[in-house]
Order: sequence, then structure tokens, then C-alpha cells
Amino acid sequence: MIKENNIKLIFLSLSLLLIILIFFFPFFWIITSSFKSPEEIIATSTTIIPRSFTLEHYNKILFNSDFFIYLKNSLIVSFSSMVISIILSVSAAYGLHKLKFYGNKFVEYSLLVTYAFPGVILLVPIYLLFAKVNLLNSYFALIIVNVLFATPFAVWMLKAFFKLIPNEIEEAAYIDGASRYVVISRIIVPLAAPGIASVAIFCFIISWTEYLFASILISGDDLKTLPVGLAGIVGQYQIDWGFLLSGAVLASLPVIFLFVFIGKYFVSGLTEGAVK
Amino acid sequence: MKKNNIEGWLFVSPLVIWISLIILVPIYIAFELSLFNVKIIGTSGKFVGIDNYIKLFGKSKFLNASLNSFYWIIGNAICQTFFAFTIALTINYKFPGKKIMANWIILSFIIPTVVVVVIWKLMLSSSSGVINSVLIDIGLLDEATGFFSSPNKAFISLVLINSWRWSPFLALIILSGLNSINREMYDASKVDGANFVQQFLFITFPNLKSVLFVLGLVGTLLSFNIFDIIWLITKGGPSSATTTLPLLIYETAFTKFRISQAATLSIVTSFLLLLFSIIFIKSMAPKEDD
Repeated sequence: MIKENNIKLIFLSLSLLLIILIFFFPFFWIITSSFKSPEEIIATSTTIIPRSFTLEHYNKILFNSDFFIYLKNSLIVSFSSMVISIILSVSAAYGLHKLKFYGNKFVEYSLLVTYAFPGVILLVPIYLLFAKVNLLNSYFALIIVNVLFATPFAVWMLKAFFKLIPNEIEEAAYIDGASRYVVISRIIVPLAAPGIASVAIFCFIISWTEYLFASILISGDDLKTLPVGLAGIVGQYQIDWGFLLSGAVLASLPVIFLFVFIGKYFVSGLTEGAVK
Repeated sequence: MKKNNIEGWLFVSPLVIWISLIILVPIYIAFELSLFNVKIIGTSGKFVGIDNYIKLFGKSKFLNASLNSFYWIIGNAICQTFFAFTIALTINYKFPGKKIMANWIILSFIIPTVVVVVIWKLMLSSSSGVINSVLIDIGLLDEATGFFSSPNKAFISLVLINSWRWSPFLALIILSGLNSINREMYDASKVDGANFVQQFLFITFPNLKSVLFVLGLVGTLLSFNIFDIIWLITKGGPSSATTTLPLLIYETAFTKFRISQAATLSIVTSFLLLLFSIIFIKSMAPKEDD
């Protein structure tokens, strides 16, 4: 007994160490590097503890670049995509898992299969389609695409939460004369709130990190999103590392900030919604 | 529960219409394009029938990209399964700081892919990367190596970077499956003398079936579609070693300006993915008792 526990303890410590090194250390590294002097960032000998400290990179990106324009665009696109995705996926998940209709299994699987298409496969034809209907260079072009990326998985995430709500509660409400609207807004939505919060943050993240379509469908500088702005710096022949690193840190802050507040719903939404 | 046909469809239809429009119309446009010979976007070409398709299968570039995509999916599946299970099984134990770790392990998934690219370009840089200097310090390397300079190293590095991004997210989904397993089964198996390897093989794994089904399907499709990480780091090189099908399509359309060829590639690729999905669902879908 003791022997098996010891083996477990060794395994646990080893994997914890590995996880911290692989999944957390890189963040420590870019954050500290973004405060280092340009010479130290590209120095050949590296030390774990920074030797210099400077705010020049942040100064440059905040006061001497288009950062705030990109930030505004990213926020508008991500927030709108999130709201639309929530409405569409909650409604679809309710229909799929609470109402049951002829063909619901087919719809459920077809939604997951849509992940076969999003990506470069649709890029060329969507570009042509949006050019025809005059949607290129607009926030709405990106929102349409982000909703397409986010919702299929969002519906699947909601499934677990909707299944946890006993049908008896709903039936009791109908007997009391409640309408479908009342049942959804007063019973289903509040009871599935942690699930809806997880879906919200998932949709926001998907939109916040999207690069491919944003780089092709938007050409005007005033409508570019943060990932596209950053990628522009990555692609330069002589990379200004300090500038790039501080930009990377700043571009991650909004999602991290959001995560501080509703992240625990996202994680518990993913881990506790008994997926059956 | 009784069936509720009209209302059911009513609730599902906004999303279904949205998705079908944004997928089916473009697919139709792509199919039409694939029958013509259009080069630059917006110009017109002449009708060539299935010529583009016939030419495609003789092209070594297409075969090379298909193979790369195949290796890409397999490599990512292996790496991500390993990392995701390690994380999920570790977090499933009690230890100080468990909550914080469970909440923040997903950091690599919530940041923009471009930031992932920045992190690993810096850490793996051949001239000043911290990984090179650590490997030299502990004696594993004699001199700094370029992680993206040779075909094999570049491919493996990219697989690892992509797995780094996705594994924590997959780990949390696996955790959800682990949490839904009845604890008593483990206790009962212990009484019968099962060790933790046997517990994993005969209790944990079979009970994760429905989660693993969705991960297997969506995970494969998502891995296949990865574009930005590869494009922003290697642009498909060196010597096309990291050009997967999505990169080939992008290159054909936006740097070589062969729109019809790119559309043909898109149609063939969609067909392959759809075929994969149907076979996967038909053979692996878990039986559900509603």
C-alpha cells in the first residue's frame, strides 16, 4: 500500500514539475523579457533572472503605434461574435436537447462535422462571396465567420448542462401555466448559467485569437484586429523583439482579465458538467 | 420524452441556417470555380471541365502536402493525447495549488495564436533562445541548433508547439469525463486487487468513450485545419517540409494567384474530410440511451 502511494507521489511530482516547466515557464519568460533591454533580449547568454529593467517597449507600443485602434477593433468583433454565438447556440441546444425532434441526432452530428470546413478551405470562396455582397472590410465579415467557428462546439458544451436540468421542473412550470418564453428565461437560462458563461468565454477566445480570416477579409489599417497587427511585426525581416513582446503581452491581457472573473465557470463548466 | 417536431426545428433553425449559408454557398462557389481556369481573384477564366481535378492528382506538390497533413494529424494526435492525459490525470489528484493550476493551465489556449508564435520564436531562436542555451548548459547540445532549419526538426517543433497550445484545453475536457466516472468503481476494483494501470485500462478508458469520440472527431478536423501557427513560423518550409494541405491552398490562392486550382484543392480536401467524418461517426459513435 505504502509502496504504491510512494510511486504515485513520485509520478505526481514529476508530472507537476514537467507541466510547470512546459506550460507555465514560457509565460514567465516572455513577460520578464518584455521588460528587458533590447540588448539583453537578443543576448546569446541567457539568465533566468533578468539583468535589466525598462519600460521603453511598452512606452513605444502604447504611445507610438496603432495598438489602441487594433484593440478597439478586436474588442468590437469579439464581443459581437460572442453575443450572437450565445443566442444562436443556446437556442439550438434547447431545441436539440430539451425538445427532441425528428432528425435531432442528424443535426447534432452535422454541427460537429462543420469543423471539417472552417479554415483555409472556405477562405477563397468566402472572400469571393463577401466581395460580391460588399462585406469585405467590415466588422460583420469577421463576426459571421467567428460565429461559424464558435457555435458548433458551443452547442456541444451546452448539452451537458441542459441534460442536468430535470424535465420535471419544466413540466411543473407548464402545468402552472407558464409560457415557453417564461420557462426559458426564468428556468433554463438561470439553471444553465455556468454553461452559458463557459460558452461565452469560449466564443470570445475563438474570436479574439482568429487570425487567418482577419488577415484576408480586412485590408484597411483602421479595421485590423490585434493578431493581424502583431503578425505584421512578426513578419518583418528585422524583428524588434522588445516591441513585439510587449505587444504580445498586451494582446493577451484582455482575455486573461476576462478569465480572472469568469474563468472558473469556464473550467468548472468544462470539468464538472457530467458529460454523459 | 415526447417529440416536438415543429418547435424543435424552430429553435435549431437560426443556427442551422447561419451555418449552412456560410458553408454551402462558398462550397458551391468553390465548385464552380474549380471547373474554370481563373487565375487572379476577380478575373474570369475559360471553362475547363474536370481538367483541374485530373491535373491535381498528378502533381507532386499535392501528394507531398497530403502526406504532410497525414503526418501532421498523427503527430498531433500522439503528442496531444500524451500531454492531455498527463495533465488531466495529474490535476485529478489532490495537491496544494490544484485549483490554481486547473484554472490557469488553459493559458496557452486562451492567448492569440500569434502570441503562441511569438513565445516559441523567441524561446527556440537559434541565436539567443533560452532553450538552446539551457540545452548547451546541461550538455545535451554542443552548439546552438536551428529548430526550424531542417525539414524534420521544423516539422517536429511545429507539432510540439501546436500540441502545447491545444493539450490543456483537451485535458479539461478529458477531466470532465473523469469526473463523471463513479468513484465506487475504483474502490471496488481496489478490493479486487487491481493496480492503477489496470484501473486506467479497464475503468477510466472505457468510461471516457463518448468524450473521446468527440475529441477524436473534432480534434482531428481542427488539427487538420491548423494554418496560422505553421504559416507564421515556417511559411511551409524548409523545402515544403511543413506545407500541409491548408498551406498549399493558401499559397496557391494568395501567393501564386491560381484561384481555380486553389478551389479545386478545397473541394477535394472537403470531400476527404467529409468522408473521414462519416466513417468516423458510423463506426465510433457511442450508443446513446435517451
